[in-house]
Amino acid sequence: MSEVIKKLIINYPYFAAFILFAIGALTVLTRSNLFKKLIGINIMESAVFLMFVAAGNIRGGYVPILNGNNPQTLFINPLPSALMLTGIVVSVSVTAFALALILRLYRSYGTTDLRRIYKMGNEVSE
Amino acid sequence: MISAISTNLPVFIIIAPLFVAFVLPTLAKRKRLVENLVLSVEVLMLLGICYLASIVLFRKDIPIIYQMGGWPAPWGIELKVGSLGTFFLLTIAIVSLPVALFARGNLTHEVGGKERIARFYVLYLLLVGALAGMALTNDLFNVYVLVEVATLSCCGLVSARNHPRAAKATFTYLILATLGSCLVMGGIGFIYIITGHLNMEFASRELSIIWQNNPRVVWMAFSFMLVGFGVKSALFPLHVWLPDAHSVAPSPASAILSGLAVKGYIICLLKVLYNVFGQTLMQAYSVHKILVLVGMVAIIAGSISALTQKELKRRLAFSTVAQVGYIFLGFGLLNTRGLAGALFYLASHAVIKSTLFLSAAAMQTATGKKEIKDLSGIGRKMPITAAAFTVSSLGLTGIPLFSGFVGKWNLLQGSMESGSILPISVIIAGSVLCGAYLFPVIRIAYFETAPEKDWKDPNLPQKLALILLSAVIVVLGVVPGPFLELANRAAAELLVLR
Amino acid sequence: MKDFILKRMASIILPFICIYGFYVILHGHVSPGGSFAGGIIVGLSFIAYSTIYGIEKGRKKLPEKVLVAAESYGTLWYGIMGLVGIIKGVPFLANKLAGVDLGVPGTLNSGGLISFIGFGVGIRVASTMVTLFFTMMEEE
Repeated sequence: MSEVIKKLIINYPYFAAFILFAIGALTVLTRSNLFKKLIGINIMESAVFLMFVAAGNIRGGYVPILNGNNPQTLFINPLPSALMLTGIVVSVSVTAFALALILRLYRSYGTTDLRRIYKMGNEVSE
Repeated sequence: MISAISTNLPVFIIIAPLFVAFVLPTLAKRKRLVENLVLSVEVLMLLGICYLASIVLFRKDIPIIYQMGGWPAPWGIELKVGSLGTFFLLTIAIVSLPVALFARGNLTHEVGGKERIARFYVLYLLLVGALAGMALTNDLFNVYVLVEVATLSCCGLVSARNHPRAAKATFTYLILATLGSCLVMGGIGFIYIITGHLNMEFASRELSIIWQNNPRVVWMAFSFMLVGFGVKSALFPLHVWLPDAHSVAPSPASAILSGLAVKGYIICLLKVLYNVFGQTLMQAYSVHKILVLVGMVAIIAGSISALTQKELKRRLAFSTVAQVGYIFLGFGLLNTRGLAGALFYLASHAVIKSTLFLSAAAMQTATGKKEIKDLSGIGRKMPITAAAFTVSSLGLTGIPLFSGFVGKWNLLQGSMESGSILPISVIIAGSVLCGAYLFPVIRIAYFETAPEKDWKDPNLPQKLALILLSAVIVVLGVVPGPFLELANRAAAELLVLR
Repeated sequence: MKDFILKRMASIILPFICIYGFYVILHGHVSPGGSFAGGIIVGLSFIAYSTIYGIEKGRKKLPEKVLVAAESYGTLWYGIMGLVGIIKGVPFLANKLAGVDLGVPGTLNSGGLISFIGFGVGIRVASTMVTLFFTMMEEE
């Protein structure tokens, strides 16, 4: 048992990422409010970002910037962070697109609750 | 100059549509120019891809590896032109050119003004470029980025029609697809954490050594990838977004979404499953059994739900769910015949489903009605459209001399090789059900009397697109030769034990 | 908004924010940040301008034509920089292989084509941010 707890404490970023991911997925799948769904998606994405960045981290490592006369030899792995920058850009565009859609839905249905929107069915026309 | 183009052809095929897509917004006011640009870039892509395919077919020193920026493999990003990539590229070119042609004749009616049309084409070309990238890339993170580009442009295409129903369908699609890509990114993260590589070949080599040390992480990676790509490619229990999204999109968009976009994600999953994890790991984790099982459930459930639909486009959308099942079933058989059959079926379904959607759209535009019962007697008034619909439904059902038959035949042989009886019976039952939901439409179209109305075949570009696609269906069914050869080789390459 | 102090302060600070954004963009390869972060800072300065002085004035500063052109050509610029490699006979997006002088590590002129590419991307990000802001505000 103490072995498991020790492992959890050493790998706490992954543990946090897992919890965040679960929170996000639960929010997306159970909440019917459009904004909450969007927030859930964002939480999930941050969880995955956290996992990647934690994978690139080396304890005691330094910022991997080469400027000619850096005395350090231990650098963290910059690749996952660079990849996650791409991920963040994608998540920003998804969020922007979803917000525009929510605005559109709110204008035609008058609510931001997905369940109510589905209940209204297809009667709403332009 | 010519040598520069031919050595850099793989990258040109990906960036040509993207380049044009980026220029289009500034030319939005000039509609003709926009359409001509789109068509010409599609034709250029087709030519380039045919050249690549001829190289791959007739030369032995494949696959061609293209290193972006000149960086070699573990550090740089690679494009790999193998049999699988060329096969999917050919499918993309063959389907996307006629669909663009159809869009030229049809978009003003469905999407609206010039600006909206230009935006539609931007998304269309982004999607085509992303799919071409998926076909060629050999890097895991590239797969994620291209999947995201494709997803966002798909969502844009679904919402291209300015209608609240479209916004609703797009929102559901966007949320589920983003959930899927989160899972895909998580899966890629697991692979990266235990192997330290993003290049598929290096990751696969590393995985085959160390997978026994991290059995749970590999298991997580498998499940994340399966569910993530499964959501995007409408694998049966995860298909809830598809019928709404594909039936509400403007018709060229639904043709390309149902025909190509879904297939792009399937190709990505195939690459991840076979090129990264490899056959040994799939067997160790029984993933192939899951694939066969899910495929069979998808075939039966998708066909039955298609049978209950009254709207033509929704029926076609549910039929996509069923046909995706065939492809997954073939992936799980783990023999060359079955895999080649699944690949061929993937291509033939791409062509057939786009034809079905386009002809259904033409009928809908002429009659102004959505339901199947309103199409009575349309066969005599719109001969070309109805003929295209008939040819493609025969193809989808799997009648000999049409392309669907070749794929299904190989799938059947593959299931016989694998030795279990259930897939065979499910494939046959699926074909029967497919006939049951498509042939009534043909019967209504040809053998019922038409109301006195002025229905006509659509304008020239649309007719041309339908004729082209139907010709491809027949040609692939009669002389599947080179295409089947490519599929066979791709299957053999994927199944190599490493 | 009719707040005098806000407008005064904005007119002093915003130009510096904009320039700082370009600084981040151009130093992307030698320091944290880069074209995305810098582009957002540049976009932010325009967004702040239009919230403080009103949307119409912001629109006048950056008409839609300019935004669309910046978005399209910013991305196209990336591709053109990639083509430099092909013209020189080496693969797409090649940097050192294409014969570009890489300079001394740590100085501004050490990125080769990367700083040029970053400039295009930064402009695209900035214009996209501003377009998003305008679209959302005018949807009301």
